[in-house]
Amino acid sequence: MTRRLATIAGALAFVALLLGAWQLGALYGAISPIFFPSPVRTLEELAKQVADGRLWQPLGATTMRMLWGWFAASIAGVVIGAAIGLSRTAREYLEPMLEFLRPLPASAVIPVAVSFLGLSTQMSTAVIAFGSIWPVLLAAVHGFATVDPQLAEVSSSLCLTRWQRLWKIALPSAMPDILAGVRVGLGIALILAVVTEMQASLPGLGQNILLAQRSFKSPELYAGVVVLGMLGFIANQLILGIERRLLRWRALPE
Amino acid sequence: MIQAPVIEVRTVGMSFGNGTGARAVLTDISFDVVEGAFLCIVGPSGCGKTTLLRLLAGLLRTTTGVIRCHGEPVTVPSRDRAIIFQDYSKALLPWRTVANNVALALEACGVEEPERGAQVSALLRTMGLTRAADQYPSQLSGGMQQRVQIARCLAQRPRILLMDEPFGALDAITRQGLQDEVTRLALELGTTVVFITHDLEEAIYLGDHVIVLAANPGRIVERIEVGIARPRSQLATREDPRFLAHRHRLFDMLQDH
Ligand SMILES: Nc1ncnc2c1ncn2[C@@H]1O[C@H](COP(=O)(O)OP(=O)(O)OP(=O)(O)O)[C@@H](O)[C@H]1O
Ligand SMILES: [Mg+2]
Repeated sequence: MTRRLATIAGALAFVALLLGAWQLGALYGAISPIFFPSPVRTLEELAKQVADGRLWQPLGATTMRMLWGWFAASIAGVVIGAAIGLSRTAREYLEPMLEFLRPLPASAVIPVAVSFLGLSTQMSTAVIAFGSIWPVLLAAVHGFATVDPQLAEVSSSLCLTRWQRLWKIALPSAMPDILAGVRVGLGIALILAVVTEMQASLPGLGQNILLAQRSFKSPELYAGVVVLGMLGFIANQLILGIERRLLRWRALPE
Repeated sequence: MIQAPVIEVRTVGMSFGNGTGARAVLTDISFDVVEGAFLCIVGPSGCGKTTLLRLLAGLLRTTTGVIRCHGEPVTVPSRDRAIIFQDYSKALLPWRTVANNVALALEACGVEEPERGAQVSALLRTMGLTRAADQYPSQLSGGMQQRVQIARCLAQRPRILLMDEPFGALDAITRQGLQDEVTRLALELGTTVVFITHDLEEAIYLGDHVIVLAANPGRIVERIEVGIARPRSQLATREDPRFLAHRHRLFDMLQDH
């Protein structure tokens, strides 16, 4: 516990150091305030947005966009991943194709999605889901494919039904992989939420950042970046918390 | 009166692979086990003991010959036959607590709450696991993990218990304790047991009968009736002249093959 506190304190001190250097640089004119406002200016802007409530709508829009796309991707990823992972034939046929699709940058499918769905929220959700499904899908395939053969024998000797095997043996044993994939997927979902907002002029933090940049409101721009950073951080921490709860059995004192 | 055997093994052969790559692991295995008997099978490593137990469980199909349990040919597993696996650390669900691991067998049998909870508690008490009920397998010693596996098997109320070197990896004291518990439980419940080991003394101490296998291919080279009354005692039985005589004979058997 004390070690963990020390690590957190160290990390915070490092951030403070960077902010201090930034502030000093801005103060003595080493960096131009037009492109790079001081941290105090940025935080002032952020406080103002919180105070007059301007922050909440775009923050909510981006968060919901990210969550919907990610949620759809996670559910689909686990279901498809289970189907592929549990069948050797499906794995042999589909794995090469997955390996081809996976490294495809999701931003490359934006034009395709736009031509089918227009500059719409559905388009953005589809792009986010396409981009963030891969880590979940591949992790689920791996997780379901590597159920311990000894546990498979236990299931057989207990005459578990297919459904019981899936639910009681395969899913929990794939869970560590799935959760890791889901967490990576959430990061990708946030990136794509911002990118699609910028590309398709959809309301949210991404669009606000772009507009601020175009009108040279650099404090607003950086305030948006800071909020996005915090959003990503909090989302990641939430999933880590869920992981710790669900995978309690993994990190136990002997 | 001649009792009808519960398990009948008839000229069973087993090979893995096919064509020219086929390799005979077991040949011409035949034996009977009567209701409530305790049969030990002993043999060197790699002679096909685990394979034989898998065949008895129905996890594998015989290449030749037939195995019958209660008169029915064995082709698939049945909850009537519980199997205790050699590698207890892998045979438990690491994400379930001790109590929930035992409950798995009851879930398989379709026992609903609150009946399930009551049965789990009773089984945990029988196996001395009550205090570990909410712990995870990784928090337990090997002996305790093996107790959980035994409790799970008892939960399915099997008529036949198949055990694969269940105590091989345990220290001597723990092993002796579990040996006596398992024999007592099997006697109480009238369960028929097939117990596999590579430890000759364990086989003679536990069994009503002992079958000795030799390797390459796995075959029966000797069978004895132990003929020492129960309950047996770790000290007295192991010093019994009959015990020592069996030990000498079987030791020579294993050396020769
Ligand atoms: N699925 C399989 N495919 C091919 N060969 C196998 C398979 N299972 C077992 N064998 C082979 O059969 C032989 C007997 O294996 P088995 O596990 O039954 O031996 P064992 O007597 O239980 O050995 P140990 O005492 O080491 O547990 C071994 O040579 C092993 O390599
Ligand atoms: Mg073995």
